[in-house]
Amino acid sequence: EETGDDEVFDYGKGDFAEHACKYCGITNPACVARCNVPSCRKWFCNSRGNTSGSHIVNHLVRAKHKEVCLHKDSPLGETILECYNCGCRNVFLLGFISAKTESVVVLLCREPCLGSNALKDMNWDLSQWCPLIDDRCFLQWLLKVPSEQEQLRARQISAQQINKIEELWKANPDASLEDLEKPGVDEEPQPVVLKYEDAYQYQNVFAPLIKLEADYDKMMKESQSKDNITVRWDIGLNKKRIAYFVFPKEDNELRLVPGDELRLRYPGDASHPSWQSVGHVIKLTSQEEVALELRVSQGVSVDVNHGFSVDFVWKSTSFDRMQGAMKTFALDETSVSGYIYHHLLGHEVDMQIVRNTLPRRFGAPGLPELNASQVFAVKSVLQKPISLIQGPPGTGKTVTSAAIVYHMAKQGQGQVLVCAPSNVAVDQLAEKISATGLKVVRICAKSREAVSSPVEHLTLHYQVRHLDTSEKSELHKLQQLKDEQGELSSSDEKKYKALKRATEREISQSADVICCTCVGAGDPRLANFRFRQVLIDESTQATEPECLIPLVLGVKQVVLVGDHCQLGPVIMCKKAARAGLAQSLFERLVLLGVKPIRLQVQYRMHPALSEFPSNSFYEGTLQNGVTINERQSPGIDFPWPVPNRPMFFYVQMGQEEISSSGTSYLNRTEAANVEKIVTTFLKSGVVPSQIGVITPYEGQRAYIVNYMSRNGALRQQLYKEIEVASVDSFQGREKDYIILSCVRSNEHQGIGFLNDPRRLNVALTRARYGIVILGNPKEHECLVEGPLNNLKQSMVQFQKPKKIYN
Amino acid sequence: DDEVHVRQKVAVVDPVEVADFDRELRALMQESLDSRKLEMRNRPTINMMLPMNLFEGPTKEHHGRGIEGESGDETTDEGTGEAKEVRVKVLVKRGNKQQTKQMYIPHDCSLVQGTKQKEAAELEE
Ligand SMILES: [Zn+2]
Ligand SMILES: [Zn+2]
Ligand SMILES: [Zn+2]
Repeated sequence: EETGDDEVFDYGKGDFAEHACKYCGITNPACVARCNVPSCRKWFCNSRGNTSGSHIVNHLVRAKHKEVCLHKDSPLGETILECYNCGCRNVFLLGFISAKTESVVVLLCREPCLGSNALKDMNWDLSQWCPLIDDRCFLQWLLKVPSEQEQLRARQISAQQINKIEELWKANPDASLEDLEKPGVDEEPQPVVLKYEDAYQYQNVFAPLIKLEADYDKMMKESQSKDNITVRWDIGLNKKRIAYFVFPKEDNELRLVPGDELRLRYPGDASHPSWQSVGHVIKLTSQEEVALELRVSQGVSVDVNHGFSVDFVWKSTSFDRMQGAMKTFALDETSVSGYIYHHLLGHEVDMQIVRNTLPRRFGAPGLPELNASQVFAVKSVLQKPISLIQGPPGTGKTVTSAAIVYHMAKQGQGQVLVCAPSNVAVDQLAEKISATGLKVVRICAKSREAVSSPVEHLTLHYQVRHLDTSEKSELHKLQQLKDEQGELSSSDEKKYKALKRATEREISQSADVICCTCVGAGDPRLANFRFRQVLIDESTQATEPECLIPLVLGVKQVVLVGDHCQLGPVIMCKKAARAGLAQSLFERLVLLGVKPIRLQVQYRMHPALSEFPSNSFYEGTLQNGVTINERQSPGIDFPWPVPNRPMFFYVQMGQEEISSSGTSYLNRTEAANVEKIVTTFLKSGVVPSQIGVITPYEGQRAYIVNYMSRNGALRQQLYKEIEVASVDSFQGREKDYIILSCVRSNEHQGIGFLNDPRRLNVALTRARYGIVILGNPKEHECLVEGPLNNLKQSMVQFQKPKKIYN
Repeated sequence: DDEVHVRQKVAVVDPVEVADFDRELRALMQESLDSRKLEMRNRPTINMMLPMNLFEGPTKEHHGRGIEGESGDETTDEGTGEAKEVRVKVLVKRGNKQQTKQMYIPHDCSLVQGTKQKEAAELEE
């Protein structure tokens, strides 16, 4: 069975120096010394940090250790400090004396050698004995004090922490500082904060949160086993076996996505042996079917269709990469520039300007002309080491991002890394950037190589297969053999892997821009790459540790694109969410006072639709790049209550109920009305692909899909083509017409899920031409009621959502 | 090229911690001294002749690192506030073998006063 490189790759484990100061992590060989007590042998530096004594002196005093050895790369080389005369190694007794007439010095102990009469007659000057430890610090010319820069970037350890860890070492010499911070099993985790003393504190806060989320994710996914699955068999173009089946969803937010790994099992019967195989989800069909490409087809009985079981195969890869990135951030001082390091941790840093010659034009070939706010964004970003771009709905952030990447790539500072948390966003960006003429390589997870992509020709795996040069013919031959036979002899497999890796490296290195997901930036295939310039799109939908993965590859200039007024990252574990894991890096930087550059012209919504979001979420700054005329669809005759205001709130008095699964809500009346409105749209000339139905609950979603296909007044097929999904899965996308089914509303909460202003914002900004909202807003006036052919009164007037951002 | 200016809060050192640390440090020093006095009833033999090979080659060149200075020039560079350094040889024993290593120590260190006096005398000659 083929295993990815991932499983043997140790994330965040670079060549981190063994001789790092056990307190603060400083590794400069001229500044560190080793405690020479055999049971200890720990390294410490000669900086005072936040304590009165230097770290090495602190350790010796607290541990009552007395011997020290210098580093092999220090000026004196690997040297145990000892009395030149008697060999005494107690550093508290040692000091230097010099010869009377020569520039020669030796270490001599205070007792007894310094007091020896015999010495007085010799060539040594005993009047000046210079103790090794002076003012609680080793002589600075023997053991250098780390520079201020080095000290600032090191772990900021307190005297209390030192005392605690020294106590801990007495019982367990291998204990780490992280062990001091570990919360108990039932304790709430430490919440995130705005500013961190150092990258170690950062890691101490985020590592447990990522662990919580990982554990929760694992528990949830592994409990997803389903029995009695009916399978339909097929064979893919690559001759691999594909199983199609329906994997029933429940309302626990678990969404299968292409690339997920599932195990298909057959228990066996009288005429068929038991069998199982792991495969990757390569697509989810509109009929809610899962297509699973099996890794191994041997032994499968394709004449059997019933009685299969499916389990989720949980992978820790993405979480491992986040943990690795945090470790690298702390331990490898070349991981990010000093400026970015301090900035990300919330330290006050003097403004820095990136000195680059600015281009004369800020647009890029192959892209639409930029508007004023887009030009401003590109221009400011190119001059700053860290910038935030806020792209409200439909304001062209992909085009702006592509233009930025184009100019960065033209500055000749090496390859630019472009990331986003989702594959969809990465593909969109890769396509736009490629349109500027830059050479783009899109790196996909190995598990997604069989998933179809709109930018397939840009993907690394495609380019490896199609790079048609003679040197590669060997690789091609082996590939062909592998495709035909399913596997290679072990020597051929070895050769194949080596050739493939070399080709991958060659292609990646020749690109101007590498595109991948944030987690993909931790791919072992990029382990030896360095990127000074990184752009992260949709960064407000990524957790901080996720965002860190592409940054710790040597970033000096970073652009975070996103919109903190739309939905943030999805955190499944409540405990981790409560502690603040759902806050993105972008948001924290905003709270720290970094002002995002806002794109201000929206090209999506009918001006009447953009008014409320603009006023409620963007201080009224959104301008319309589309006119009313451009958003009128000729020939579509829909009964909008107010002409030129293609929106209304349709009051529903139907009762919400708990769905059959017991975990979800549904509202039958509302579902029936969704069908009526959809039918009205279809009758008026709108086609199904133009319509999207948004609903917050899986119960309602399933009910609407089912209800429409059974009770729809028109052809069944029309309703099947209409997308019904959650707000979250519509984020980043648009439809011409949106129907929003709110389902719940009660006295206390108003309109259930729309209480989160960010979700409300996303829900209201998906439609280009018109929106209909169904709900039961008790506290609102100015709504419409009545049959669809005789609606009275209109105008959405939501309460202003509570403002949560400044 | 990665110069960064971090406006740092002044590290506040807890006076209780300082006092506690000083107490322990003093205790450790005293204990070290006392134990030696007990251990070393007999004075050790002194074996500290300067090895002859030390005097081969240039031995007393003073070295103002970063500045081209005259030997014996004691001024500090006002611009950086950095004292110039003197090159010395550190004599160490590796097993029974003597070795010298070069090291730079600040000009104003009490250790090199002797050598400087000697140098001044040489200059007068
Ligand atoms: Zn020790
Ligand atoms: Zn240290
Ligand atoms: Zn001695």
